[in-house]
Amino acid sequence: MKHFEYADEKISEKEILIVIPSTLIGIGILSLPAELAGYTTAADGWVAIAVSGILIIFVVWLISKVAASFPNQEFITYASALVTKPVATVLTILFSLEGVFICTYVVRVISDIAEEYLFDRTPVEVIGLAFLLTVVYAVSGSRAGLFRLNMMFLPIISFIMFLVTVFSFGLFEMDNFFPVLKTDMSGYVQGIRASTLSYIGFYILFFYIALVRKPEKTPKMAALGMGMTVLIYLITFIISIGVFGNITASNLIFPVIEIAKEVEVPGGFFERFDSIFFVIWIMAIFNTMCMAFDVTVFSLKSVFPVKKIKLIFILSPIIFFLSMFPASYYEVEKFGSFISHYGVTLVLTTMILLTVALKIKGVKKRG
Amino acid sequence: MLGEPGDLDIRELSLDEEKHNYALAYLDGMVDKDLVNKGIIKNLQIISEKKDLPADKKELIDEIKNNIISVSSVEKTAEWDDMTIDLLGGSTVLFIDGVAEALVMNTVEFETRSIEEPESEALIRGSREGFVESLQTNMVLVRRQINDPNLRFKMHRVGRRSKKNLAVTYVEGIVHPDILKEINRRLETIDMDDAPESGFIEQWIEDSFLSPFPQMDNTERPDKVAAAILQGKVAILLDGTPYVLVAPTTLENHMVSPEDYYERWLIGTLLRVLRYIAAFIAMFAPSLYIALISYHQGMIPSELAFSVAATREGVPFPAFVEAIAMGVTMELLREAGARLPKAIGQTIGIVGGLVIGEASVSAGIVSPVMVVVTAVTAISSFSIPSYSAAISFRILRFGFMFAAAFLGLYGIVIVYIMINIHIVNLKSVGVPYAAPFAPGFLYDWKDLVLRVPVPMMTKRPEHMQTKDSRAGNKGGSST
Repeated sequence: MKHFEYADEKISEKEILIVIPSTLIGIGILSLPAELAGYTTAADGWVAIAVSGILIIFVVWLISKVAASFPNQEFITYASALVTKPVATVLTILFSLEGVFICTYVVRVISDIAEEYLFDRTPVEVIGLAFLLTVVYAVSGSRAGLFRLNMMFLPIISFIMFLVTVFSFGLFEMDNFFPVLKTDMSGYVQGIRASTLSYIGFYILFFYIALVRKPEKTPKMAALGMGMTVLIYLITFIISIGVFGNITASNLIFPVIEIAKEVEVPGGFFERFDSIFFVIWIMAIFNTMCMAFDVTVFSLKSVFPVKKIKLIFILSPIIFFLSMFPASYYEVEKFGSFISHYGVTLVLTTMILLTVALKIKGVKKRG
Repeated sequence: MLGEPGDLDIRELSLDEEKHNYALAYLDGMVDKDLVNKGIIKNLQIISEKKDLPADKKELIDEIKNNIISVSSVEKTAEWDDMTIDLLGGSTVLFIDGVAEALVMNTVEFETRSIEEPESEALIRGSREGFVESLQTNMVLVRRQINDPNLRFKMHRVGRRSKKNLAVTYVEGIVHPDILKEINRRLETIDMDDAPESGFIEQWIEDSFLSPFPQMDNTERPDKVAAAILQGKVAILLDGTPYVLVAPTTLENHMVSPEDYYERWLIGTLLRVLRYIAAFIAMFAPSLYIALISYHQGMIPSELAFSVAATREGVPFPAFVEAIAMGVTMELLREAGARLPKAIGQTIGIVGGLVIGEASVSAGIVSPVMVVVTAVTAISSFSIPSYSAAISFRILRFGFMFAAAFLGLYGIVIVYIMINIHIVNLKSVGVPYAAPFAPGFLYDWKDLVLRVPVPMMTKRPEHMQTKDSRAGNKGGSST
């Protein structure tokens, strides 16, 4: 049934709207409130999230604008047209490296959290391997299937987030929100840097817009999806501060999971809501990793003409061994911060390169 | 002819004072004897006495066909194979000495079961008619539900030996042509000796034979088939079975019962919610028990944890063994109950439910909580309307139990994600199995968990991509 409209590998712009929050909401959001609380006083971190959010929304809009001006063309094709073939190839490989790093980081962190909140005896390797194999299974399926998975899980994830938010209202202490706007300038700068880094992941747009059937509306949809993400980040930050206060929040590793531990679910069914929350959150992290893995496979495939399944089988052992490499939580965090810096630098460079090139070539055309 | 079986009757007669000899062949028991006697033999005898028949043999056969025989369907053919198939199907064949052609008259009549209430899909409110084994009757039942000039029956013959009739039923102008084309294409690839039940057809043409999920609906209810056809689906009726296949289907379709629509929308919605909860329990209850007892005792509220621990005291097995033992016992009871005659079946229920449950608890083999979990699981899986979907949930339940035994809640989520991966990649005749959840069709959510009032359901489901999207329940019959 080739000509039946569902079967093809194209996606609609609605799916771009879904894929951005699905990819971005994962691990970063769990720890960001702690980091932000460290840089800012009281609840001022929201300014940092909002400012960097608006910045990133603009970036996302620009990326999709550039990508959408070459409808149904892959990244390597339009990048070659703009900045020559060798540069485009190097960029693609650098992006796939970022994808591999993200996957590595995700596998490691999910194993660590699971060990912390679910079991203490099961070895980290087993947890990580089970997760990785699930992702491999998903990525070896159809690409349209991955977008559908995002669509299946996003409502569940939003629902559990909503529950945590609602239940946490009872634990708010208004004093935690004062004083307002007393952070110094360097604190804001640090905060904006931290939250910008946690948004990394939207680079998938460079690649996936090629799949959109009619990309005219995608910039709007992508910006909207990014807006949703920023909103959810804001909410998590505010409830973290409201429940714990600035100082406690900055000392926790994953404030959001800790909130889930604190809240009391009416009815007394669950003693520890944090386990439930984390179990559901695995789906969010799964979505993040799926998209990162798939975009890596997608981009590598455009450079090396190898079968998809071969790429997956080459990449997954690499990811697994890299992820088990760091010995301590401190090393994992260092690795995480390296990934973010590397990613943001790469995305911004590419964006500037492509936009400038598009402007110059555009001018040329008119002249 | 045909090896002269015992039920083949050949009646030799002569016409017009021995000028023409003719022979009638039919299978005894397959034809309406009354019709053969009055409509064919009697007419031939009376008319041949009164009227001069044409001497030319060619004209004679046309004369007989057009003016003499009073049977509603008469065909002239020279093909021996066609004749044989029709004869085996219950037609009467008239041969005339010296003519290369023969007349095939449709005189089929045989004993069939009368229309009864479908046993496998009982409803409190709704039509009591169920399909029977005769294809003709079944086609009539569908036709009576949909009096539309665009209702079509496309006939196929399946079975190398049995040559069973099969009707692909749809409404022209609603169904997406590609779905129809694909179903017909798949049906034409069927190559087997016999298709005793529509299950054979289903297994031959389904999209993935590795999937635990049924990719086609089967039903005994004409009203259900009619509703499906009007949603742009295709029904496959096979001669010899009351089970009709409906394709394409989605996971959500298996959670729907016609009664959801026959009762008012509030009741329908509540029933749907209840059923989704039932599906959740049927799949997850035993595995959650295992995970909570063996890995995450801290998640159970303290008081409950104490009482569960107290009841489990003295049970020598880990929760997983306990759950598997009870699960297998439950499946055995169900299987035994299904195979035995009805009267004894009830005894099995009593023996199983009361005696085994009670005795195994007091013997200290399982804990009472486990018995409760097993019972609730069984009841929940009975309340899923589609039998084939309920079976696949049962299979998956054991998968979840193993996952929970190895990795607790984490394992359950991993397996849940895997099942979702499978579902989003699965298709039923080209339609995504997870529709309308993903790909999302917001309009179709009106009839998903929430079942909106009937006047609001003005369009056919979008995920079926019907050609005519308006369901037309505002125009009534004025068209």
